[in-house]
Amino acid sequence: MTISDAGPPRRRLGSGLKLKLFAYALVAPVVLLILGLVAYPFFFAIWVSFTDMVIGSAGNFVGFKNFEYLAGTATFWAAIRNTIVIVLVSDALKLVIGLGLALLVHQNLPGRGLFRSFLMLPWAMPAFVAFLTWRVLYQPIGGGINLILNQTGLYTGTVDWLGTRNTAMASVIIASVWRGFPFWFISILAALQSVPKELYEAAIVDGANTWQRFWNVTIPSILPVIIVTTLLSSIWTANGFEHVWLLTAGGPSDATMVFPVLAYFGMQTQRIGEAAAVSVYMLPVLAILVLFATSLMMRREE
Amino acid sequence: MTKSSDTQKPSGWSRRRVLTTAASGLALAAASSFPMPAIAQGKKLTYWGGLIFSDDANKLLSDTITAWGAANGVATEVVMINQNETTQKVSAAVSSNTMPDALDMGLGLARLLARQSQFSDLGDLYKKIGDAQGGWFQGPDTATDLTADGGIARVGIPFGVNGNLLLRRKDLLEPAGFTEAPKTWDELVTQAEAINKAPVSGLGLALSNVGDANLQVAVLQSFGGRIADDAGKKVTLDTPETRLWLTWLKNAWDKGLFSPGNTTWDGAGDNQAYLSGQAGFIANTGSVGIAAKKDDPELFEASAFSPLPGGPKGIISPIDVQVRAITKASPVQDEAKALLEHLSSPEFMNAYFNVAIYGPVLQAQEKLQAFDGTNTILVGLLGLAKNGTAPAYPDVNNAAFADFGSNFLIPKLAQRVVVDGWDFDKAIAEAQAQGQAIYDKY
Amino acid sequence: MASLAEVASAAPANAGAAARRRVLTGRLLSYAALLIAVILVLFPIYWMLATSLKLPRDILRVPSLWPSRFSLANFEKLLADGQFLLSIRNSFIVASTVTVISVIISSFAAYSMVRFRYRFRGIIGRLILFAYLTPGSLLFIPLSIVMAQLKLGNSLTGLILVYLTFSLPLSTWLLQGYFRGVPRELEEQGMIDGLTRFGALLRITLPLSAPGLAAVAIFTFTGAWNELLFALVLTTSESVRTAPLALNYLITSDVLPWGPLMAGAAISSVPLMILYFVAQRFMVAGMTEGSVKG
Repeated sequence: MTISDAGPPRRRLGSGLKLKLFAYALVAPVVLLILGLVAYPFFFAIWVSFTDMVIGSAGNFVGFKNFEYLAGTATFWAAIRNTIVIVLVSDALKLVIGLGLALLVHQNLPGRGLFRSFLMLPWAMPAFVAFLTWRVLYQPIGGGINLILNQTGLYTGTVDWLGTRNTAMASVIIASVWRGFPFWFISILAALQSVPKELYEAAIVDGANTWQRFWNVTIPSILPVIIVTTLLSSIWTANGFEHVWLLTAGGPSDATMVFPVLAYFGMQTQRIGEAAAVSVYMLPVLAILVLFATSLMMRREE
Repeated sequence: MTKSSDTQKPSGWSRRRVLTTAASGLALAAASSFPMPAIAQGKKLTYWGGLIFSDDANKLLSDTITAWGAANGVATEVVMINQNETTQKVSAAVSSNTMPDALDMGLGLARLLARQSQFSDLGDLYKKIGDAQGGWFQGPDTATDLTADGGIARVGIPFGVNGNLLLRRKDLLEPAGFTEAPKTWDELVTQAEAINKAPVSGLGLALSNVGDANLQVAVLQSFGGRIADDAGKKVTLDTPETRLWLTWLKNAWDKGLFSPGNTTWDGAGDNQAYLSGQAGFIANTGSVGIAAKKDDPELFEASAFSPLPGGPKGIISPIDVQVRAITKASPVQDEAKALLEHLSSPEFMNAYFNVAIYGPVLQAQEKLQAFDGTNTILVGLLGLAKNGTAPAYPDVNNAAFADFGSNFLIPKLAQRVVVDGWDFDKAIAEAQAQGQAIYDKY
Repeated sequence: MASLAEVASAAPANAGAAARRRVLTGRLLSYAALLIAVILVLFPIYWMLATSLKLPRDILRVPSLWPSRFSLANFEKLLADGQFLLSIRNSFIVASTVTVISVIISSFAAYSMVRFRYRFRGIIGRLILFAYLTPGSLLFIPLSIVMAQLKLGNSLTGLILVYLTFSLPLSTWLLQGYFRGVPRELEEQGMIDGLTRFGALLRITLPLSAPGLAAVAIFTFTGAWNELLFALVLTTSESVRTAPLALNYLITSDVLPWGPLMAGAAISSVPLMILYFVAQRFMVAGMTEGSVKG
């Protein structure tokens, strides 16, 4: 790294005001973009959720009517249940799989770079193609999964993966884990690589075995990353739409109905007010997650 | 545009013939010039056409409009909108004032936007076209009268009828002794049962949260059931007739006649099942026929089309009508009207029917070459145009009914029974309550 | 297991063959586990490729793990009119522009939030994360109105603007962590040598954070390359279609043309897959600092 030595030496710090302006100027583009293209539409949408707006009409204020109507439907409660299940189960699976694979790749193995690349490929497929492909894999007759089961003789019958209550949710979760684990894998791998070697050496001197070193050194070191990744991933999963929409559209019955799909149905019936209300119902939970995440990050700065 | 390989085609349907008709349509378009008002400089007419499952039809529409514009000194832009996304696109366009000058769409969307006064009154043009071509068919005429939605009777010029036909595998049914199409839903089950051997399922009917599954509304109505009363206000699902329909459905389900996966199918589910050779019967608008013709001529030869079966109360076979409308805010009203009139001309429509999947809307269109009997799909669609029932009939076709349909409450009721194993009373009670909650909003 | 490598490196030099054998067994087990994982991960991708090489009729009528007849018909069909290649080009323009702009302005913002203390810093930090929280389904009507008002509807510029708002939060957050890892003293040293503060950012902090910038760039590029929902609502004309949108438009009415669809998916995934193979090293390195000290 070269440091240019041109020009006269300057004062190390500019005046307070100039610095402040400089700091604001740097952060301004991001703030303005987010205010204009996220915050404004966001508050607009909150307002809409209190109106009876349909496509093409301005909408009248109707108070909590949309919220009351939604709370009176069975589908709404199914969506709450399923959203929680999908977030908890798929994040837990992504954690276990991401951590396990990261630990394996973290070793000094020849050819690990190749494994690292392969394991990231699910992210390279456009989401909607990825889930359409999973849809074909899950097909009862001629689908890839049943073909393999039948040809290897593991199971000879036809499993209707997406069409029965017992298997639909699990199938959706598996597909969404497949698509989402690379982010965890990369994050955890990165965290592992930055655990100071000295800690391990000290642990070895103290006579800790492999398992103890894992519990007492590795896990505490990467815990902050895991927590942040969990929060981000939960928010993504809760807002995620494509996996459920393309695989089951919330069915069979309401076995896999989740909030974003419910909102999308609202859009399709052109009742924008109701669709917005569905999303607004999600906000408290998401807000708690986000506040938790920000305070964590802010705290880690200190 | 992709061209299908030249496999053997049924007579009267050669690509050359289609292209010739199309070409003559174009030539006519170029030659005919309408008395046009002076076009102000810089005016442009934007048209959103519905992208359908026929590359030839999409190309023909877009080329015709372009040629018409060139002949009449109007700058045109044709954008083909995938019909699967029309609702989202139009929603966004209405909200942001970026609607095209004219567009084609299904009746449901037209009805909704008419309520929001988005369209110009086309009453004169409607009458003019009808008078010139032997009058409108009763079905499309009744269906597209939108006086109840926003006060203007004619905001759209109908150009095609679509709806469900029953598609069946002759090659499986004939050996089993069934040469005739099933006339009733019970007969359908009997026939389906006879050919229900893995990998073929007898009934490729969707029961998922998708528009296709709303076929069950028609089945329910043909058993005498009703969604709501004659005033279109009170939901009336808790009736013996509803239980009659559910009994029929559950019986077929328990016999294992439905295709696996049909409770989570998307709109393409029944097509896939049929094109994979895994379904004996499906109800479809004709796109499967076209797809089979292109990729699997053998299967196409082995298939036959017939009207939907009926129930104890007769046949309920709802039609949908595609219309072309002009947006109220468009600065090129007269030009757009001239274009719509041109697009209703027999020359263009004959060419269009030949490559699209629509039935006729005008009496005189029955005489067109397209409906001379050589094309089995078009024959089925002609029957639909003449004998199909009005949308929602015998129920009242109002906004509440549309919302009820978009929420897939009847398919959901079916799923409660066959997927969740609820008893009829519990499932009906839920559907009744949810349905009433929807009707109460209007 | 976690520290097999450590076991290996820490094995005393005088340890016998037993220890070495244990290391070898550990390695073999690791390879076996990784291999199974890779096979499971790659199977859907293989399915996509295999389907793209089958004849349309075979896809449905002759289900098989291995194409019974190979054909390039799907690719020919897809590429026949040049439309699809145009959409790939559009996707490339959008994704690279978003990536460049996003990396630049998010690194400025991240630097500002790491190096300075000012009154609204906490609020800005929360605002940036708040952008995450908003469900996309909630935004698409309001956003299309905003885009129409800005006269950016139906344009690549409009898409670029929208994708920026989706990519900036994550980029800013990742880069903050990264810049914290760059010692302040280096910058101060540079400023003594005559750099301005902005010069120090450009000449010292950014080059030192190159892996972090690479990671952020790849995340951003991937997101913009694959986005569908907003492209669907915000664009209409064929000339501004992106690759996922072009694929989506292959599905007309209720027929799924699996062959061309999978061929298109393969073509649009390949550039990214190559990118990952080339750049995965940077990504891990880039997230290393960012994630941990972040």
